[in-house]
Amino acid sequence: MQNYIIKRIWSALVVIFVVSFITYFVLMLIPGDAAQLILGTDASPDKLAELRNAMGLDRPWIVQYLEWLGGLLRLDFGKSYLYGTSVLGLIIDRLPVTASVAVLSILIAMVVSILLGTVSAIKRNTAIDYFSRSVMQIGSAIPTFWIGMLFIIFFGLKLKWFPISDYSPLSDGLFVHLRSLTMPCTVLAIGEIGMMLRSIRTSMIDTLDQDYMDMARVKGLKNKTIYFKYAIRSAMIAPINVIGMQFAKLMGGTVVVESVFSLPGLGRLLLIAVEQRDVVLLQGIVMFITAVVVFTSLVVDLIVMLLNPKIRIRTRGE
Amino acid sequence: MKKSMNKSRKKWNVSLAIGTVLILAVVIVCIVSFIYMPHDPIEMNTTLNFLRPGANESYILGTDNFGRDILSRIMMGSRTVLLVGVVSTAFGAVIGIILGGFAAMGKNIVSSIIMRFVDGMMAFPGILLAMMLVLVVGRGEKGSIVAIAMFIVPTFARLVYSMVLDTESMLFVKAAKSYGITKRRLFKKHYIPLMATRLITQFSSSIAHAIMVETSLSFLGLGIQAPNASWGLMLNESRKYFLTYPYLAVAPGIAIVLTVLGFNLFGDGLNELLENGKGGKR
Repeated sequence: MQNYIIKRIWSALVVIFVVSFITYFVLMLIPGDAAQLILGTDASPDKLAELRNAMGLDRPWIVQYLEWLGGLLRLDFGKSYLYGTSVLGLIIDRLPVTASVAVLSILIAMVVSILLGTVSAIKRNTAIDYFSRSVMQIGSAIPTFWIGMLFIIFFGLKLKWFPISDYSPLSDGLFVHLRSLTMPCTVLAIGEIGMMLRSIRTSMIDTLDQDYMDMARVKGLKNKTIYFKYAIRSAMIAPINVIGMQFAKLMGGTVVVESVFSLPGLGRLLLIAVEQRDVVLLQGIVMFITAVVVFTSLVVDLIVMLLNPKIRIRTRGE
Repeated sequence: MKKSMNKSRKKWNVSLAIGTVLILAVVIVCIVSFIYMPHDPIEMNTTLNFLRPGANESYILGTDNFGRDILSRIMMGSRTVLLVGVVSTAFGAVIGIILGGFAAMGKNIVSSIIMRFVDGMMAFPGILLAMMLVLVVGRGEKGSIVAIAMFIVPTFARLVYSMVLDTESMLFVKAAKSYGITKRRLFKKHYIPLMATRLITQFSSSIAHAIMVETSLSFLGLGIQAPNASWGLMLNESRKYFLTYPYLAVAPGIAIVLTVLGFNLFGDGLNELLENGKGGKR
């Protein structure tokens, strides 16, 4: 088990390293470097060379990469050209918004898909099962930004239940904060429900088909006991993995949702960085988000390991 | 699984039928768009802007802020969706299959570097990698295709990698190896046909995925650029006006949902049909 944990942590670190490599080199391929961005396209070659020298852009790329990587390890993400301040500071400023959105929407998605998935697995091929299978299909086919626009039209404009693109931070009060996040989070959750529901339903069906379920029935256990004491527990293992994966998708999805609902979060910052070609800022945000996602999935994996007796035993035998 | 076995061996299923119909519909719209469109999808006519659907008989779905016919733009957008969706998936699939196959059959330092690289590509959440690649290749159709192809690569690479490793211990593979078959021939003649079912169903779902990414990129202004039409771009263009004219946000969204649904259902249905026996399970 210890070996497994070490292996898993090691592979997470390797992935982060590869990600940093890809991020750095993809963004290095962008036509026009930082010096050009700062001075504009009509700058004289002399001035460009001077600034490049001052910024260290004329050194070999491997040196620049290692320096950048070293900076990341010391939590120094560099300085944004656009804002002129530290990238990490900019990220931390906007993190609470994105974190609120991500956590709330994953909670909504989890509750809905566990309920619906379990019920539809138990009542297979009934009306509720067909309903949840349609939710699965349609949920994963609706683009987040479109459902966001529809929500704005319907719940914001027609019913006036929620404010339209007006974010209130937690300091305005919990209720106001949650109210301003309800629409974005629900919208984001709808995109997640499709996959989660599918995996919970499948895994629940698999569990219900196991011999020990028949055994429990033969023993005369009540349905309620069978479903909620035995089936759910073993059926939840696979979906927890999916939830970890969905968290990654969700962090990507916040870009779109924050843009639709004008939330001042990381996704918005990322979009600004892309539009303004602020490479340092972009590298910083991408690395930050990806690292969060990789570590989340690491934690999820370790939790699954602790929950799943099969893995526990197998790894012990190694 | 035991219980659902009885009703297996269905030749056709609902998902497959609906999926086929939806995909055919998009393809037909796309073909028709080359022959006939009610209006020029690019020509602007500001005297006729913001016509609501039904306000003018020749503009069935109304007109946008520039007075362009929405129906014609939707038809034109179907070309983009199919082009970018299919081409980028094909690109990504080919690269992914080669990388995955190479890594699985090589089993040396190169193959483990390839797989770590693929892991890294997969670790980028959502459209982050695509957004970065768009900056490099440039916005527009070409940029979208490249960016989305790279988004698709890791899925196929991992799929092929794990499938090859699974088949490695099968008897016929051992037999073929004992005849001294070359690795490349083994891969082409034995692994590919064996994996074909999974690859085809994955291809269909990946097209759905690619379309989602394309529309998202276009919606963020990083994908297809005006005056070219894409459904995501149409929604992006409507953002300034949709609070006053909500109808602008309806038609392109429905088009996206139906198309993505079509490819997803087709993939699911095909999976069910080819791997029969799991009826109604997934």
